[in-house]
Amino acid sequence: MLAFSSASADGASSTGELVPFSSEARATAVFPLHHGLKPPISRLSISWARGNSLRVSFFRKPSGDDSDGDEFGGKVLEVRLSGGDGDMSDAQFRRIAYGSVSPFALLQSRRNSAVSLSKISSPYHVEWWEYVMEYSKDINSLLSDPKSLTSPAIEDPKAVLQKAEEPICLKAAWDVMEIFYADKQSQSWLPERLVDWLAAYNGLLSSTQATIHSQLISFQKELVTLQVKMLRLHGSYQLDQIGNRETENGLVEAVAVLISKMPRLRPELQAGTLGECHRAKPDFIKAWEKWRAHITKLDCSAYWVRCDHDQTRKGLRNMLQIMLGNTNSLCTATCHWMELYIAHFLYIRPFTVGLESMYSLARKCMQLKPMTISHRLIQLLLGIIGDNTEVVLAECSRAFGPWMVAHAIELLASGSDQAETLLREEHYNLGGISIEELHRLVYAQVLSSDALTWQIAPIYLTSCIKQGMGLLEILLSKQPVQDVQILLKVIEICRLYELDSVSSNIMKIAGVYHWKHGRKGSGVFWLQQARDEVRLNRIAQQLFDFVGQSISDESFKQWEGLIELLGSESKTAGGLEFLHKYRDFKKSLKQVNDGKTTDAAQQAVESLISLMKNPSTPQQFWLPILYDSLKLLSCQERPLLNVSETNLLLNKLQELSMAKLRPDFIEADLPPQALGSVRLALATNLGRAIVEE
Amino acid sequence: MAVIGTALPDPPRIHRIPQSKYVDAVRWLPQFSAFDRFVVLALFDSSSDSPSSIEIHSLDTQAVTLSSQSTWAPPSRVSSLKTSQLPGRKPLIAAGTVSGSLHLLLANSVDASLESEFSVSEEELHVGRVSCVDVMEGGGEFVSVGEDGRVNLVSVAGSELSFRRFFDSQGLVSYTSAKWASPAEFVTGGYGFSLQWWDQRKPGGVASQLKGNWAQRMSGIVQSIDIHPSRKHTCLAGGSLGTVFAWDLRWQQQPIILSGIGVGEDGTHPACESEVWEVQYDRHTKSTNTGNISSSRVLPAMICSEDGILAVVEQDAEPIELLAEPCAINSFDIDRENPSDVICSLEWESIVLLTRP
Repeated sequence: MLAFSSASADGASSTGELVPFSSEARATAVFPLHHGLKPPISRLSISWARGNSLRVSFFRKPSGDDSDGDEFGGKVLEVRLSGGDGDMSDAQFRRIAYGSVSPFALLQSRRNSAVSLSKISSPYHVEWWEYVMEYSKDINSLLSDPKSLTSPAIEDPKAVLQKAEEPICLKAAWDVMEIFYADKQSQSWLPERLVDWLAAYNGLLSSTQATIHSQLISFQKELVTLQVKMLRLHGSYQLDQIGNRETENGLVEAVAVLISKMPRLRPELQAGTLGECHRAKPDFIKAWEKWRAHITKLDCSAYWVRCDHDQTRKGLRNMLQIMLGNTNSLCTATCHWMELYIAHFLYIRPFTVGLESMYSLARKCMQLKPMTISHRLIQLLLGIIGDNTEVVLAECSRAFGPWMVAHAIELLASGSDQAETLLREEHYNLGGISIEELHRLVYAQVLSSDALTWQIAPIYLTSCIKQGMGLLEILLSKQPVQDVQILLKVIEICRLYELDSVSSNIMKIAGVYHWKHGRKGSGVFWLQQARDEVRLNRIAQQLFDFVGQSISDESFKQWEGLIELLGSESKTAGGLEFLHKYRDFKKSLKQVNDGKTTDAAQQAVESLISLMKNPSTPQQFWLPILYDSLKLLSCQERPLLNVSETNLLLNKLQELSMAKLRPDFIEADLPPQALGSVRLALATNLGRAIVEE
Repeated sequence: MAVIGTALPDPPRIHRIPQSKYVDAVRWLPQFSAFDRFVVLALFDSSSDSPSSIEIHSLDTQAVTLSSQSTWAPPSRVSSLKTSQLPGRKPLIAAGTVSGSLHLLLANSVDASLESEFSVSEEELHVGRVSCVDVMEGGGEFVSVGEDGRVNLVSVAGSELSFRRFFDSQGLVSYTSAKWASPAEFVTGGYGFSLQWWDQRKPGGVASQLKGNWAQRMSGIVQSIDIHPSRKHTCLAGGSLGTVFAWDLRWQQQPIILSGIGVGEDGTHPACESEVWEVQYDRHTKSTNTGNISSSRVLPAMICSEDGILAVVEQDAEPIELLAEPCAINSFDIDRENPSDVICSLEWESIVLLTRP
C-alpha cells in the first residue's frame, strides 16, 4: 500500500504517477503523485529516503525563454510507503531483527564447526536437531510479546476489557513451521500439535469472518474446554423446570465427564485443559475405543426421552455427535475449513500421519467448507502440508517478508534432504548462488537500507559464501565518514572480518574529508592510520605554505598539538617530520633569545645543522631558518659553528641562489637584505672558526 | 580471561528496557528526593518529524520500567549529554549537538519537569559537532570542545548564556572530550591519544601536554576522560583499541596503562579490544589492593565498549566483566547517589539497568 505525505492527489496529471510492481495478478494500482510542476518533466529520479520513504525528484527541462521565470526547475517529494505486516511497527520489526542476530549467528557457527568436523559422514548428527530446535525456540520467543514494547505509565482502567496479548501472524507462521520442520520429537503427535496451534491462533483466522458467531461456535466445540464448566453451571434453571432438573443434571454431568475423559494421543496437556493423555498408540487405541463405546451408549440411552428441556437435549446430543465424529455435525459446528480439519484430527482420524494423507484430508475439508477469503497463514499451511518447499518459500516471502524467509530457511532445510538440496545447491539461473544465499542477501539489503540496522547486515552477508563479502565491502564503503562514531563502527567491523584494505580506504576518505573541511589534525591522523604516504606528502606541501615563511611564537601554540600528533617517527609522518624538527629548533632559539645559557645556544646550533642536513626540509624554509639564526651565527663570545658546519650552510646558500633561477622557486617573505646579511654572518663565522681551529 | 560478572559471588541484577528509538546517550539525573529516580535520555528517530529529543524518564525501581515525564526537542541530534546540580540542588542537563549548539535545561527538583532552557546557537560556538561538554562541579561553568578545534568556556549570565573562546586551534587539533579538574583547570582529549591540561590562569595555550610516544599502530582517539575529585592530578582516559590509561601530572613522561591490546606483560588481559566509548571512576568497586592505597595508584574505573563490554578495570588486576552484549554499549552512567546502580545504552535501541549488590 502506498500512503502519501504530499497532500492532494491529482488524477489528471499523467506525468506524476507511480506504478508499484506487483507479482500478483491483481489489477495494477496507480497512485497519482501531485508535484505541481508544469510539464514537460525531463527527468525523474527515485531513491530511498529516511526510513520507509521514497524520495522522488522531478526535474523540468530548462526553458529557453524567461516567460515562466517564476516556475521552479524541479521538485522533490517524499513518499511514505506503508504495508507489509500491518500489525507490526518499524520499531517492533527492528527489535525482532536485533534479537534474531544471536540465534542466527550461533546456528551458523555450529553448522560450520559440524561441517568441518565431519567431512566424510553426514554433517548432521542427532544433536543437530537440537540445535535447530534451540534456534527455533529463540526466534519464537522474540515474536511472543510485541505489545510489551510500549507499556503505559499509568495503567489504563479499561485495560481489563482488552485482551492481554494479541498473538501476531508472524509468530503463528513461525510456530507452524517449527511444528512441521524443526520439532522432531513431537512428530508422532503432529495432529495434536495442530490442534494446539489452531486453539492459539484461531482468532487470527476467524477475524476475517463474522467474528462473534465464529467465536461462539468454536466455544461450543470441544477444543475449548471451558464449556465443561459452563455445562456444570447449567444447573441454574428457571423455576418452572424444577421437576426435570434431576434427569437433565444427570445428562449434563454424563456429557461433561465424557468430554473430560476424552483420550488424547500426546504426552501432556496444558493445565486447565481437559482430556486424558496417552503416550503410546496401543494404550490410546484401547482408551479411544472404550470412550467411543461410552458415548454410543449414552447416545442410545433412554434418558433423553425423559429430558423435557428441548434446547438442552438438542445441544447435548449434538455434542455427542461431534464427539462421535458425525461429519454433518462437525460441518455445522465449525465455521471454516481449518476448524473442520482440526476437528477431523480430534474426532475422526486421530492417527493421521504423513503429509500426503494430511493434504488429501485438507482438500476434502476445503470442499466441505470453502473459505471465502484466503488467509496468508492458510496459504502457508497448505504449502507445508502439500510438501512443496518452493510454495512455502514463496508464501513466506510474499506474506511475511524478507526477515521471515531468511530465518525460516534454516527450518525448511532441516525438514528433509530434498529441501536442503533445493535450498543449498547453487542455481545457474540465480547467478550461481543458492536460494538460501539469495534470501539472505535480500534480507541484508533490507537491513542495509536503514541507518539503525545496517550494522546487523554484516552477520548475514558473511554467511553468504559467494557474494556476501563483495556486498559487505560495498556496504561498509557506503557509510558516511563524516560522523566519527559511525566511522569507528565501520572500522571495527573491518577489523572483525579482516578487511584491512577496505578499512584503510575508508580512513583515507575520512582523512581527505576532514582535511578539506579545515580539520587538519584529524585529516593527518586518519591518513597516518591509513599509512597513506602519498597524500601525507601532498598535505605536507600545503601545510608548509600554511605555516608560512616564518612562524611567530604565538601561532606556534596552535601548531603544538598537531606536531605532537605527528610524532617523531618520520616514516608515518611523511614529509611532515620537518615540522617536528622546526618546532624544536624554534624552541631552543627562543631560549637563546631569552638570554639562556650557552647550552641552549649549542642545542639550537645542533637543531639548525640537523634541519639543514635533512633532505626533507623544504627549500623555501632554508633562508628563513638561516635568517632566524643570525644571532647564532654572529655570537660575540666565540663562534658556535665549526668550519665544516659553516661550509655546509654556505653550500646551502649557494644551492639556494642556483634554485632562484628556476621558475617554480618560492621567494621567501623576508627583508631584501636578508640573503646578504646571512652570507656576511656566515663568512665572518667561517673566518673566526678557522682562527679558532 | 576476564572475570565474568555473572561468576561473581553476588552477580549484578540486570534489567533490559527496550526503547523504540536510537539512544544516543543516557544519564542519571541528580535528585532532591531519594525515592524518585530519574534518567535523561538523548534519543534519535529518523522516521519522526522531529527526530531528536531529550527526554526525562522516571524510573520505577520495583517494576523496572521507564516512563516519560517531559520532553524537549533540540535543533539537531545530541552529541554530548551531561547532568549535574546547581548549588540549590536543582538538576541541570547540558547537551551539545551535532550542529554545534549548546543547551542547558534546568529541571524541577521534585518532579523533574523542565523549568527553563538556555542556548547558544550553532555557528557561534562551534563549526560542526560539539564533541563534548562538561559541567564544573557546582554547575557554575561549562567547557565545550569540538572537532573544529575550539575550546569554549560557557557560563550563565542573567537569563542567557555567555561564552568566551578560551582557545582556537583553527582545526589543527580536534578535541573529542573534556573534563573539569578544578574550578581553574580542565583536561581535554583528542586524536593520537593526546591529552591537554588547560589552566584558566595561563591563557593562550595548553598548560601541559601528554607525551605518550605511542607506536603508530597503537595510537587512536581518546573518547572519554574522567577525573576523580580526590585525585585531581590524575586524568583517566579511554579510547581506541580498548585502551584505558591514566596520566598523572606529577609523572608526566609516561601514561599508566590499565587495559589495552598488547599490554598486560604482567599477565592481565585487556577488558575489550575495540573502541572504549566511555570511562568513569567506579566508586562502588573497592580497590583489591586496599592495604596499599598510595596516591599513585589509579582507582578502579568502569568502561563500556563497541564490542559490547561493560567492565571494571583496575591497575595490575584482571578486569571484571559486568555485561557482555552482542551489540555496542555506547554510553553508561554510574548514579552519584547510589554508585551500585549503573544505567547504559545499547546500540540496539535499548537501555540496561544494572544493580550491583
